[in-house]
Amino acid sequence: MSTATPTFSGGAPTPGAVASAAWSRVRTWRPGLVLAGLVLLFFVVAAAVPSLLASGSPTDIDLRGALRAPSLEHLLGTDQNGRDLYTRVVYGARESLLIGLGATALSTSIAVVLGVSAGLAGGIADAIINRFLEVLFSFPVLLLALLFVTVFGASATTQIVAVGIGTAPGYARLIRGQVIAVRDSGYVEAAGALGHSYARIVRRHVLPNAMRPLVVVVTLGVGQAIVWASGLAFLGLGVAPPSPEWGALLDAGKNYVQKAWWLEVMPGLAIVAFALSVTTLGRALQARLEGGTER
Amino acid sequence: MPSPLSPTASAPLTARLAAAAAALITALVLTACGGSGSTTNASATDDAAAKPTRGGTIEYAHQQEPPCISGGWVEQAYISRQVFDSLVSQVGKGRIVPWIATKWKVSKDQLTWTFDLKPGVKFSDGDALDAEAVKANFDYWLDPKTINGTVAAYIGEYYDSSRAVDATTFQLKLKKPYSPLLSALSQGYFGLHSPSSLKQPADVQCVKPVGSGPFVIEKWNRGQNVEFVRNPTYNSAPQNAKNQGPAYVDRLNWKFVKEPATRWGSLTTGQNQVIYDIPSVDWQEAKAEYQVEKYTTPGRPQTLSLNVTKAPFDDIRVRKALAYALDRKAAVENAFGEAADFNGNPALSKSTPNYDASLENAYTYDPDKANALLDQAGWSTKNADGIRTKGGRPLKAVIDYGAGSIINADGATLLQTLQEQAKQVGFEIELKPLTLTQLFGGQFSTPTSYDARPGYWTSPTAGVLYIVWRQNLKDRPNGNNTSFYNDPGLERTIGEANSTLDPQEQQALYSKAQKRISDQAAAIGLYTRTSSLAIDRSKLRDVWLESSQGEPVFSDAWLVKP
Repeated sequence: MSTATPTFSGGAPTPGAVASAAWSRVRTWRPGLVLAGLVLLFFVVAAAVPSLLASGSPTDIDLRGALRAPSLEHLLGTDQNGRDLYTRVVYGARESLLIGLGATALSTSIAVVLGVSAGLAGGIADAIINRFLEVLFSFPVLLLALLFVTVFGASATTQIVAVGIGTAPGYARLIRGQVIAVRDSGYVEAAGALGHSYARIVRRHVLPNAMRPLVVVVTLGVGQAIVWASGLAFLGLGVAPPSPEWGALLDAGKNYVQKAWWLEVMPGLAIVAFALSVTTLGRALQARLEGGTER
Repeated sequence: MPSPLSPTASAPLTARLAAAAAALITALVLTACGGSGSTTNASATDDAAAKPTRGGTIEYAHQQEPPCISGGWVEQAYISRQVFDSLVSQVGKGRIVPWIATKWKVSKDQLTWTFDLKPGVKFSDGDALDAEAVKANFDYWLDPKTINGTVAAYIGEYYDSSRAVDATTFQLKLKKPYSPLLSALSQGYFGLHSPSSLKQPADVQCVKPVGSGPFVIEKWNRGQNVEFVRNPTYNSAPQNAKNQGPAYVDRLNWKFVKEPATRWGSLTTGQNQVIYDIPSVDWQEAKAEYQVEKYTTPGRPQTLSLNVTKAPFDDIRVRKALAYALDRKAAVENAFGEAADFNGNPALSKSTPNYDASLENAYTYDPDKANALLDQAGWSTKNADGIRTKGGRPLKAVIDYGAGSIINADGATLLQTLQEQAKQVGFEIELKPLTLTQLFGGQFSTPTSYDARPGYWTSPTAGVLYIVWRQNLKDRPNGNNTSFYNDPGLERTIGEANSTLDPQEQQALYSKAQKRISDQAAAIGLYTRTSSLAIDRSKLRDVWLESSQGEPVFSDAWLVKP
């Protein structure tokens, strides 16, 4: 996944001190970050109180007004049942975000348990957990998810579990590596030499230091989980209609892609905007936490 | 930073999952659905003046890939028709013409049918298609170990025995008269296999059934296509085929393209010369630019079965209220356009012989009536969401459906319209899409697992009523009775109709049965199951849909520039 952080290179304004001052202000403002924040705010409000942003109901049908192109009356057009697409995108935010956050929370929980156990225990336990992770790794996320949905049926819960389990091994490995690095570090050794108990060392030193990179990865993961979940829904394996979950909107729109482009493009843009915003903020967070400057 | 996600290579496992799902269906195909048809505008006499050319490959995009090439599902009949010949063929609404059987006669008591067979016909593996071979097929279909559920659904209760009188005379004995027999026999499920191939294991027959038809299966690439080659010695076309000899083309490439937009695109870009099931949004363009064949499938149309054994639909007033609450005609027109028609009669599709048109408007959209009925039924208070309640419980029903298999994308649009219309009278509907595995796995098909379910049963005869509405009894279960509606009187009426010879009396009995089903609102009529082909006439001519259930026929077809 790429980042939306704007890069300013070449062609930068050179003539005059005014321009240069403005330029440095822009740099400190970081408009990309501000924009990402606004987009995120919009979707968080949409998820929390959708009626603030859209007045109608996402399931109100109007057969005479079906498949209308975007206009002032219908900002994003209408679908095959004459439902207002803007309203549906707004109301779809809650389920989409819940699936993204839920899947990430699940995968992180699994990953923390497995990664920390493997890293701390070492030896046979580490080897067993590692092999287990490798087995999980050998199943591409999408296939694991397909298997899940085929057996358990399509629902938001299945999507959360499928994507959550599918993405857990990556996080688990990351945590295990961090735990090992911290465990073998000088300051942990020093703490041990000072006579601190094992539990205290783990609690005070190992866990906080090992988890820090996870914060960034998880932020990035939310966007990615939404993309995965939308992918599943696009294949018809998402939540049941008439839910306006974004992936489900994509799925319903694909048959009209030649005659009513907005049904496919608009929900797609919502997914892209959200995923990019989360990623942008994740990168900024990463830069802050690592203490370096943002690229 | 390492990505927590590994790159995926999804195709092979997807295919395997599909195959696994397919394997699960195999068992069920026995009870899935039969089929039949009558055509609205298909013509076998397309290019009377043009002279067919020889050679080339037909590129055809179909929608649904069945779990096996032959079997009891209409999707299997479509494809196995290319390989098999049957005893008889059907023209229009119920006219039967010779195929492998050149002549037939029935005894006075209607119990003994004698068929004269075309001499000199051979299966593509060299076996002779004689009376013994026909008998071997009937024995195989009805043997409990190798039963074909659809064949059994039609003739199981009527069949007594069969015998080969001589090489070209086949005799069928029935236990009681069955007037729809010839119509039933014209469907692809009754396609004749070579006796040697019937001795092969089921997995071999699944992939490469052997018949005497115009094409021979060369290879089935699961998830992609079936490659057929021409049977060069074909000499047994049905009487209603234009070409009585071997097929004009060398090969037929039968592809499976499930996505409607992709299938349509494959026609407009020239990748395929003919596609199945024109998407509703593309009908106008199809009619302007291509030759369109539309076939309204007879039998049970797409109807919503209401589970009468369980609340809320155990109350007839609630069933009727739902029927009145839904503006089905407007909803069907919006969702399908020309791709399918509204069919208000819940028992038979409008193209079925003996269909009763008077039931078409039995429940015209009338929300006031719906509200009154629900009030009477005790659902008279409403909760905060505007949903009716009784004793604190909301009025709610779950409709589950085979998404992408039994109900296509347009059908899903329709269900959402109906859901919203029901809400207007305070009736909450929850939609629950099922995967094929779930649908055919069985645990979702018990009397307690759903409130309502849409479905069809294609058939060229009103005799399908017996298949769908026969009682579901412990010692004689009927999985096709998806309303779980047991009515001894209804079963008797249909049985009498099936055994009656007088056309007027038969019509009266079949009408009585349809009226009973409609009056009881045991099911709600939705739309006709419709087959369509869009054909690029600049490349391909003389493709048609046959009349028993709309099986595509390619033995007459020829390429403009092979």
